[in-house]
Amino acid sequence: MKRAYLQTDDDIAARASAPGDAAIAVVRTAGPGSIERLARVFSRPGILLAAPSHQAVYGRIVGPGKRPVDEVLALVFRAPAGYTGQDGVDVLCHGGQTVVDAVMETLTAVGFQRALPGEFTFRAFINGKLDLARAEAVDELVKARTAGARGNALARLGGELSRRLELLHRELVRLAAACALRLDYGEDESPEDFLDERAALAAVRDGCANLAATYRVGRLLRDGARVVIAGRTNAGKSSLFNCLLKQERAIVSSQPGTTRDYVEAVLDLDGFPVTLIDTAGLRDSADLVEGEGMRRSRLLCEAADLVLYVVDAVAGLEVGDQAFLSEVQRPLLAVWNKLDNSAAGAAPADGRRWLGLSALDGQGESALVAALRTALVGMPAAGEALPDPDGLAITSDRQRQALLRAVAALDDALGLLGSGAIDQPEGVAETAFVHAGFGLDMVAVDIQAALAALGELSGETTSADILDALFSSFCVGK
Amino acid sequence: MDCDIIVIGGGHAGIEASLAAARLGCRTVLVTQDPDCIGRLSCNPAIGGLSKGNLVREIDALGGQMGMLADAAMLQWRMLNRSRGPAVQAPRAQADKAAYAALARRMVEGQPGLRIFMDTVTSLLVSADGRRVEGVATERGNRLAASRVILASGTFMGGRIFIGEHRASSGRLGEPAALGLGDWLRAQGFPVGRMKTGTPARIKSASVDFAALEAQYGDANIQPFSFLNERLAIDDQPCHITWTNRRTHDLIRANIHRSPLYSGEIVGLGPRYCPSIEDKVVRFPDRDRHQIFVEPEGRHTDELYLNGLSSSLPEEVQRAFIATMPGFADAVMVRPGYAVEYDYLDPLDLLPTLESKRLAGFYPAGQTNGTSGYEEAAAQGLLAGINAALSLRGEPPLLLSRGESYIGVLVDDLVTLGTKEPYRMFTSRAERRLSLRHDTADRRLTPIGQRVGLVAADRATAFARKTAGLDAIKELLNSRRVAGADTAANPCLQPHLGESLAKALRDPKVAGLTAELLVPELGAWPAEWLEGVKLDIRYEGYIAKEDRLTARLGRLDGLSIPASYDYGGVAGLSAESLEKLRATRPLSLGQASRIPGVRPADIALLAMKLAGKGSAANPASLASAAANASPAPPSPENSGAAS
Ligand SMILES: Cc1cc2nc3c(=O)[nH]c(=O)nc-3n(C[C@H](O)[C@H](O)[C@H](O)COP(=O)(O)OP(=O)(O)OC[C@H]3O[C@@H](n4cnc5c(N)ncnc54)[C@H](O)[C@@H]3O)c2cc1C
Ligand SMILES: Nc1nc2c(ncn2[C@@H]2O[C@H](COP(=O)(O)OP(=O)(O)O)[C@@H](O)[C@H]2O)c(=O)[nH]1
Ligand SMILES: [Mg+2]
Repeated sequence: MKRAYLQTDDDIAARASAPGDAAIAVVRTAGPGSIERLARVFSRPGILLAAPSHQAVYGRIVGPGKRPVDEVLALVFRAPAGYTGQDGVDVLCHGGQTVVDAVMETLTAVGFQRALPGEFTFRAFINGKLDLARAEAVDELVKARTAGARGNALARLGGELSRRLELLHRELVRLAAACALRLDYGEDESPEDFLDERAALAAVRDGCANLAATYRVGRLLRDGARVVIAGRTNAGKSSLFNCLLKQERAIVSSQPGTTRDYVEAVLDLDGFPVTLIDTAGLRDSADLVEGEGMRRSRLLCEAADLVLYVVDAVAGLEVGDQAFLSEVQRPLLAVWNKLDNSAAGAAPADGRRWLGLSALDGQGESALVAALRTALVGMPAAGEALPDPDGLAITSDRQRQALLRAVAALDDALGLLGSGAIDQPEGVAETAFVHAGFGLDMVAVDIQAALAALGELSGETTSADILDALFSSFCVGK
Repeated sequence: MDCDIIVIGGGHAGIEASLAAARLGCRTVLVTQDPDCIGRLSCNPAIGGLSKGNLVREIDALGGQMGMLADAAMLQWRMLNRSRGPAVQAPRAQADKAAYAALARRMVEGQPGLRIFMDTVTSLLVSADGRRVEGVATERGNRLAASRVILASGTFMGGRIFIGEHRASSGRLGEPAALGLGDWLRAQGFPVGRMKTGTPARIKSASVDFAALEAQYGDANIQPFSFLNERLAIDDQPCHITWTNRRTHDLIRANIHRSPLYSGEIVGLGPRYCPSIEDKVVRFPDRDRHQIFVEPEGRHTDELYLNGLSSSLPEEVQRAFIATMPGFADAVMVRPGYAVEYDYLDPLDLLPTLESKRLAGFYPAGQTNGTSGYEEAAAQGLLAGINAALSLRGEPPLLLSRGESYIGVLVDDLVTLGTKEPYRMFTSRAERRLSLRHDTADRRLTPIGQRVGLVAADRATAFARKTAGLDAIKELLNSRRVAGADTAANPCLQPHLGESLAKALRDPKVAGLTAELLVPELGAWPAEWLEGVKLDIRYEGYIAKEDRLTARLGRLDGLSIPASYDYGGVAGLSAESLEKLRATRPLSLGQASRIPGVRPADIALLAMKLAGKGSAANPASLASAAANASPAPPSPENSGAAS
């Protein structure tokens, strides 16, 4: 029977560490009765039951007939502490999948339900332990595959993103209060000069835009990039593949492709997880142009974030290469390989930037990696910080969309306040068109919209919050 | 002397409540301490202002009295915030206090079905089970029966006045406090608290040197508060402006220990938006001057009101610091400023109809509910009067939403969020403020007033005429195209050649154009109507933005929850939300979503539950409303295995 997430009184358990062999795995449990329930399959129940929150208890998980299942460290959390805000125990057992399976079986035998995906995070969110930005970070932390990605997720879990957002948010609340001040108190009681706030408004706008721009990096950190190496047989694709894997050393996994057409490996490229795909099986020029190999190679390329196209500098550029190059729609780096060979020709002057390389002796490799990184992460926009995998980045499209909505709203506000955008119409005495104040009622809506957008990430702003900011910073009232 | 509805208190809330109740056909008695004091303006001689002016026009649109009274007692009229955008402007008038009270008293006295009775209510009569109000008992031992009782006690319930070291049991200087009722309510377990407010000294006009002051006159083209008054001509009385200075502040600082506010004797919380001068000096020590508005109290009095100089310092200190201001060296103080502390009832105890949750038939209104201000009081009085009458007739209550009126914002804030300080209306509190312009109050609310039955024939006729007029204006603007000849005279029309005038008016550069010059027929309609249509056109885009921004507000507000809803039956509600929902008993999902401490996830859950129960709203709209209510919890699909 399918359980609903909303039954938060069930005791649940699931593996919390990533699957795959590791020295230690974590089986997480949570629920109001989880500690008692676990005690029933724990070798030292008394000590476990007496343990205060955050205490580690050494012992064994024991199955029916006191059969030992595994030696474990049980980390006790008592509500409201702990990840979910409920009672719970993190069981650190040995890492093999069979061990984890056995532990899980023992737990379900005494009534633990298998946790649904995200159920722990849902409980944490429901219990107010995590704001949404953090909840998403936890999700990614679990999925994080390289050290760089893990660092980023941790930064946010520690509230780094929340802190950055909070700063933008606070400044926006101040601006909303400055606006409210002028809407709530008449001209003779409040200052006229809202135009002075233009710079501050622009600064918040840029802050949101910059944070939104980190999404590219964030997404890369989360999802990684697919880089396909294409080219004719013997161009040196496999050599380049091996060269990159060797040099970058941080091989996460290397396994044959689902078909024998390609081999893929995950490598850590300056902290970004990159899935490198070596296409094989393109035997000759004819195959490359019209054959089945071409079709498959194209398919792989279409799904790639980036294509590395390798050409043998000794053989030179052929018609087939040109055809392929002109047809590929994805971002592409052209590689002129085998430069160490004395017979190597000069790269074609076809307007394309050719990256010279010797997959054999490694010359040009670091430049290639740099080009790869730049192509993936993109050049920083003016005024934007250089993408840094250890720095802060948003990693969900929802966050990015919200930030972009805030940017759009603030652009509208700045447009209304823009110098000279709205002139006082000729011959109109009506002070409603006084330049500085025109449309402050509209500007207020835009600021409100920006606040609402940011609020989707960092929590709602009520009008009472704005009035609080108003009264604490301005002296008003007759 | 038994009746249908008893209204306690002849202040601004009580006036509206008793008039509305009687006009809706209920036999009504207004019990008040002193009929001579009906409709007194306790503090400043002014009605309206930002967002408060909107309230007055809304009261009028529904069929209330305040707009007519303010128009009739007007000394000066101004439109505030002209420079900040038409949607947030509001009218404010200086009022002749004596004239205002006299007119109010005459209105109440002349209302058929309404009797005035001089006495002080000391307790309520309740049914044997304690759940229904059945009348009131008074100081002189009278017992009056009625199944609906509206309490509008203002600053008088347990009122205590402070002037330096002086104390008096009083609701307004010179008037006794109403004693007994507050204690009775406390003893019955009502959430009674204390609040405070203050007022400045009054000065003899002849003792002030006006040559030293800057005069401030009203605007020429008066737009009356009441939609029944098309035009208004008055003999404009100026206000004046002066400033405090370092000497003023030094005097205040030197005597601050003598202020009851700082000696800790006043326990009630005062309003931050309306601080006393000693508050301002202490909290903003960097400011070396504060602006003071000098306002006339009436045509037949020589007294002046010093707006901005509210104080409860000893009289001689007040006299001394007033004398430091330009023009006031020889000022004669007629009445000192003072602070007043009084009992109020926590409005969280009320339903959005203003009926008490713990005592059926009992409707607290006005300052009693923790608000301050004449307009806020009158708005609540009107709503309480209407709802008491409707419930007596067995009809569904009048609930005004945040999206359709400032009154709706006021009541929703009070009953959903409560208030820790005297609550005042502010433009910024209304998230749909672009749609709540003062000039559209009749369009928004008169149809509702008609449905309720408060709109008399003359108002109905005037409203029908205006509706037709607005349509005609729209039609004229839509059908008239910008021609070559127009652009010659008005270069701003150049880019709009061939477009309809309505479309061209969306351009801010065109918006100020005098359309009557192009379409002479427009001159046949009142300028305010034409301006209204032009603003509708100009704000279309931004109103759409505002709608998107508050879509959740509108949608969730439309989903009603029965007052008797059993939240305990909703599995999965967090304990905190459950407690808050039970305490507040919201009447809509929108209201529920605004209760502090109720989690978005719980609103989503509640929405699903209500949809499942097949309540009034259709499940599909509920589900989408719920989706809008909250950032959804991390969905199962995109979460890691056991994240
Ligand atoms: C000193 C002072 C300072 C103020 N300052 C401000 C300010 O700065 N800003 C602002 O906006 N507003 C201010 N006001 C508030 C303003 O006067 C009120 O908001 C408004 O008058 C409230 O209207 P109401 O109808 O609720 O009560 P009131 O106008 O106070 O009327 C209450 C009426 O009820 C009668 N009554 C009370 N209890 C009983 C009873 N048990 N039996 C019979 N009759 C009873 C009283 O006699 C009185 O006539 C101030 C008021 C005072 C007194
Ligand atoms: N001299 C030289 N030989 C290379 C270089 N790269 C690849 N080769 C040789 O070219 C042949 C084909 O290489 P391989 O990587 O298998 O090509 P693929 O078919 O494109 O995968 C092998 O004999 C390699 O040793 C290079 O940079 N320099
Ligand atoms: Mg190969």
